[in-house]
Amino acid sequence: MSDASALPVEVSAPRPAARRAGYWLVAVGGLMLAVMLIVTAFGPFIAPYNPAAISPDSLAGVSAQHWLGTDSIGRDVLSRLIIGGRTTLFITAVAVSLALAAGLVLGLVSGYMGGIVDQVVMRALDVVFAFPVFLLAIAVVAALGPTIPNLILTIAIVYTPILARVVRGPVLSVKRWDHVEAARSVGVSEFRLVVSHILPLVISPILVETSLTLANTIFTVTALSFLGLGPPPPDPNWGGMLAEARQFMELAPLTVIAPAAAIVFATLTFIVLANGLRDMLDVGGQR
Amino acid sequence: MRRLVIIRLALAVPILLGVSIAAFILVRLLPGDFAQTAAGVTDVSAATLDLMRHNLGLDRPIWAQYLLWLGHALSGDLGTSFATRRPVTSEIFPRLAVTFELTLIAALMAMAMGVATGLASARLRGRADWAVRLWNGFILAIPNFVVATLIVLLAGLYFPQIGIFNYTPFFTAPIANIGSLLLPALSLALAVSVTVSENTRAAVLEIAAQDFVMVARAKGLRPRSVLWNYLVRNALTPVITVTGLRVASLLGGSILIETIFAIPGMGQYLFDSITSRDYPVIQAIVLVTAAIVVLVNVLVDIAYIRADARVEM
Repeated sequence: MSDASALPVEVSAPRPAARRAGYWLVAVGGLMLAVMLIVTAFGPFIAPYNPAAISPDSLAGVSAQHWLGTDSIGRDVLSRLIIGGRTTLFITAVAVSLALAAGLVLGLVSGYMGGIVDQVVMRALDVVFAFPVFLLAIAVVAALGPTIPNLILTIAIVYTPILARVVRGPVLSVKRWDHVEAARSVGVSEFRLVVSHILPLVISPILVETSLTLANTIFTVTALSFLGLGPPPPDPNWGGMLAEARQFMELAPLTVIAPAAAIVFATLTFIVLANGLRDMLDVGGQR
Repeated sequence: MRRLVIIRLALAVPILLGVSIAAFILVRLLPGDFAQTAAGVTDVSAATLDLMRHNLGLDRPIWAQYLLWLGHALSGDLGTSFATRRPVTSEIFPRLAVTFELTLIAALMAMAMGVATGLASARLRGRADWAVRLWNGFILAIPNFVVATLIVLLAGLYFPQIGIFNYTPFFTAPIANIGSLLLPALSLALAVSVTVSENTRAAVLEIAAQDFVMVARAKGLRPRSVLWNYLVRNALTPVITVTGLRVASLLGGSILIETIFAIPGMGQYLFDSITSRDYPVIQAIVLVTAAIVVLVNVLVDIAYIRADARVEM
């Protein structure tokens, strides 16, 4: 063995180029997110038609009246796309917030306490983990009935273990660091120890994983809706639009391509953000 | 080594027990039961419904039902379908085989695509690296059911002669069978190929920085030989591992894909049995799928340890 081999190979050292690329990706992702949020927030004012209004002009192509054409019963595709995004994104946002809150609590408690508590929490999460995510979601939504609160609850349950694991991992090592020991020795309470001395140091991987979870949740919400397990009919949603359009897609390809593009745009937004954050915050260890 | 295998397998037992209990309770939470859905809208007296429930064993307390089911399950009998009155195992396995074949073809495709793109981005760096990263990001953003729907749309518009929905059983025509599964498998494989690609890239970069590769190069081995015998061979271990870990998402995704391409796998069957509240069938599908996922995870763990002497318990 030569002397050179004793030097650690700094593969994961922060590379300025990668970090710069990270800033760019976060900027692009942030812009995409802003566009999505604005369209969602002002949806009812932007949408040119009532998304549920039926007209005799069915399966129409692109025109000045209907920018993205109409569907099989003459509803305006653009308006349905804008309003449908509200349902899809609302479910996604609330579900991921819940999963993040539960994942944070479970991950912090189980990582910090260790021992029996850790074992019990992790084995319980293993049971949820053993189900394929999507199969579990189908089973729970079918059991509880496809309403918006049930969809939110299901998706929160399904993604909690993933976030809890991402939180727990770094907590296991950070809790042994000197500054935590120092804080404990001057009598800082356990709660403050976890919240202000451990949490800030494990936040980067959590941000990246949350962004990825948002992308995955868009997938789960739209896929469930695609299978007919989405929000009930009067409100449009992207997955449901895609499923409805399949019947006539050769006559009006746009009715399929429009919701497909919307789903891809939303997912891409969060993937770009996750990749950017990973480079920017230099989160190592790919999954 | 043997101890390790036993420990890993032993850890899988409580997980599967937990899954079976969860599945058992979950199906009974479904509103309505088989007696009701089977009776349909016709006016059936409460006494008849009770008799049906008694015959199906649904009037017993839930823990008694579970223990009875568990006893049978341990001897390989997963119960009798309420709907068809046939043993669940003989109903499930032909369909499971179809889903398994689809998943397998998809996994192989994902590995081929992922290794190719990952290798390209690790070896060529620069523009190729960026191109692969862009491609991966974009591919990852297209959910598999969207890919499948777009494939069906394109085929319908431009290649009507393909006949997308002609699923052929394996034993009638093996070649046509595999052919009919290629497009469905492709729509499943794309997203998984990204994981494979990223891991191949990371593994190749890590291995390329190590001494034995430098030595191989220094002693004058041809670059091609270094690439295949040193880099790819060693990078393959983590790649197989991550592909294995994605089996769960492949199995879940195949439910969607089977629905879109009208393939008679577990997906459609699960859906029908949820609708008719056929408890034994739902339980069996959930349990068998979870067992496959847990088992694959254990195998992956063991394979990983065998291949890499540095990993210890």
